[in-house]
Amino acid sequence: MASEDEISLLVIVVDVNPIWWGQQAQREPQFTLSKCIDAVMVMANSHVAMSRTNKLAVIASHCQDSHFLYPRRSHGNGDNGDDASSSGDGKYELLSVANNIMAEEIRNLMSKIEVKGNSTDTLLAGSLAKALCYINRVSKEREAGQDIKSRILVIKAADDCSQQYMHFMNVIFAAQKQNILIDACVLESDSGLLQQACDITGGLYLKIPQKVAIAQYLLWVFLPDAEQRSQLMLPPPAHVDYRAACFCHRNLIEIGYVCSVCLSIFCNFSPICTTCETAFKIQLPQMVKGKKKKLKVS
Amino acid sequence: MASLSEEVLLVLKKVRQKKQDGTLYLMAERIAWGPEGKDRFTVSHLYADIRCQKISPDGKAKVQLQLVLHSGESTTFHFSNDSTARKDREAAKELLQQLLPKFKKKANKELEEKNRMLQEDPVLFQLYKDLVVSQVISAEEFWANRLGGLNNTDPAVCNSKQEVGISGAFLADIRPQTDGCNGLRYNLTADIIESIFRTYPAVKQKYCENVPHNLTEKEFWTRFFQSQYFHRDRINTGTQDIFTECAKQDEKGLKSMVVQGVKNPLVDLQSLEDKSLDEGYGFSTPLPSTSNCNRSVKESSNYAIIKRFNHHSAMVLAAGSRKGETDQGSETSSTDGNSRDSDLFQPPIKKVKLQEAIEYEDLQREDGPKTVALNLKKSDRYAHGPVPLQSQKYTTSQDIINSVNHVRHEMTNYTPNLTQVLTSAAATTAIAALSPGGVLMQTGVHQTINQMVPSDFQGELKHLYSAAGELLRHFWSCFPVNSPFLEDKLTKMKSNLERFQTTKLCPFQDKIQRQYLNKNLTAHLEQMLQAAYSKFHIWQTRRMMRKT
Repeated sequence: MASEDEISLLVIVVDVNPIWWGQQAQREPQFTLSKCIDAVMVMANSHVAMSRTNKLAVIASHCQDSHFLYPRRSHGNGDNGDDASSSGDGKYELLSVANNIMAEEIRNLMSKIEVKGNSTDTLLAGSLAKALCYINRVSKEREAGQDIKSRILVIKAADDCSQQYMHFMNVIFAAQKQNILIDACVLESDSGLLQQACDITGGLYLKIPQKVAIAQYLLWVFLPDAEQRSQLMLPPPAHVDYRAACFCHRNLIEIGYVCSVCLSIFCNFSPICTTCETAFKIQLPQMVKGKKKKLKVS
Repeated sequence: MASLSEEVLLVLKKVRQKKQDGTLYLMAERIAWGPEGKDRFTVSHLYADIRCQKISPDGKAKVQLQLVLHSGESTTFHFSNDSTARKDREAAKELLQQLLPKFKKKANKELEEKNRMLQEDPVLFQLYKDLVVSQVISAEEFWANRLGGLNNTDPAVCNSKQEVGISGAFLADIRPQTDGCNGLRYNLTADIIESIFRTYPAVKQKYCENVPHNLTEKEFWTRFFQSQYFHRDRINTGTQDIFTECAKQDEKGLKSMVVQGVKNPLVDLQSLEDKSLDEGYGFSTPLPSTSNCNRSVKESSNYAIIKRFNHHSAMVLAAGSRKGETDQGSETSSTDGNSRDSDLFQPPIKKVKLQEAIEYEDLQREDGPKTVALNLKKSDRYAHGPVPLQSQKYTTSQDIINSVNHVRHEMTNYTPNLTQVLTSAAATTAIAALSPGGVLMQTGVHQTINQMVPSDFQGELKHLYSAAGELLRHFWSCFPVNSPFLEDKLTKMKSNLERFQTTKLCPFQDKIQRQYLNKNLTAHLEQMLQAAYSKFHIWQTRRMMRKT
């Protein structure tokens, strides 16, 4: 059992890409963004209800911005007192406050949203970075003697953005260094980046077969924390494709050539590396010169 | 039978062995016993084989001598000559005592080394048990690669032992004890004697001169301790004392050391003088000369003790640096200074010392290896992860606008409806998918192999692997086969491998089969052995073809 002093912080990063969700709503009307947010709230409430010392943060991530749904940034006036109004159904006050804040924030967020230009990809790497910063801040603010264990749960809807690769990898390694788990709950298409993230940090990756039952999957698989997971029978880790892509064609290769100077990967040998322009000398086998045949002059 | 060229060191008649009368012969390299009247030796042991000898205690009627060999057996000789039994045995014992140590070291060292290696490394020990004890390969082959440099470096090892220095307090260790009636007992050990000789070569010289011609050792040391030379106040007494010469030599040595001074030009010993008037009264101007006659009696005794201490310390240090030189009485060799005289040598030493004082290695500019700058032309290639170029889903801008509007519209009136999040049907299907055997749990069900195979099988398999690995290493190291020695070794190794397979691998496989375990446990081992066999076969056919 976790000791009284151990704080468990869960940061949920929800992908609210409006383009994807709009298309999803048209495809499957029974599972819309509202339903998804409801399920996330259920998960968040459950986490907070598990222990007095559990903490929560929720980040919404879309094409332009990552926005904290909870906790709300205080405006310095100490207006937290207003939110203490009870919900009237006898719910634990912290939960009702949290739910209200989250609902309000998401309403505001979605009403202000607009898509500019051709940036249709979710800024997931940025959201993860914000989550890491938040976790870092909370860890620094705790009192001496308190352990804090953090994990990030990513609920992913839209596809991967290949331009965010470097940032993603940086985030993953930073999380690994800080012993922060990254779990992933993927709604539609498999994401290689998140698979790697889960593999490297030790979290769970799950692609859900049924979107409408998302709440069940969240509670079953992602609610227990790292220690408890070792006692449970959970879906086994997926096989991660760690093959590198060659620099010339972007094919995934298993055996290739690596330039010893700039470490760029190629699928075929070429005597000059195109990235750093180093020339490679390889000894070719000796050519046997054929005898010159004398042409008969007829 | 004893060869004629063997030198017989001692012959003892009337020695019984196993209730038979006979004669005991001690030769240069072995000890042998032959029964009476017969020509040949029934018992013969090399001194190298003998671990130790034991004698029966003096009180017993039977006078016996027992030889214990390295292999554990023992042979007992009973000296039955009535008159000279004890003397014979003593003679045999003395001779053995002298001879045995000579032969002991060689054999022992190898065995000791082997034993030590086996004890320190349990893996090696296990390998040894698997391979040698079960006769798969012989002990020599096993130790061939491992003992390696032991025999070659024997002399070198012995010489690199460090010499033990002299304790500065060795004289104090002697510590006289009162004898009861006005006498003093001094306990001298061999170490103390050696220290005295090394520190004071003059004393050693006297010892060599007088013992054993004039004085016995005991008398020499008694005189030494009685002499004023040894005691604190070295007031020179009459010339009866053989040690007055030593005292004079010491004085000479001390003076020459003072003259030589210190080699370091930056250290000025002359400026360190006691200039105080008395305690607490500050400094006085230094007197131009401090000759002996100006001093008080108290000062001169202090002076003598200080001189004694300085001299003693200097001699101890000098003895440490002399290290086995046997020049006698050269007390001036404490500093190997012959170069102090000429001024030519002075500047370099001073310069070196000055440079040492002002320069620090760490602060020097670092001359690292020359590097070439990295020149990247297309660095954006690194930014793309191993995400292959896929066709992006193409969405028209109209689609985008529609979707965004739809979502915006949907979420304007969003209120959480947490009681309707999940239907029971959806929940049950999800639970079914997550339970063992469900859609999502397919790949994780089978147990890892180390949970299915019992641990003793695992242990045995590990031993098999290490033994097979060892044999295969020997086998593959024979290629390319260049010499007849390697050919022989190769054929031998192949037969070893086959023997290993029949004696170790097949029983293990049978055991596995009986337990209905996974039969693939030994597949890899067999594969390795098959590869070795086929290689051997190829080599053999090639060899046949080359010969014909």
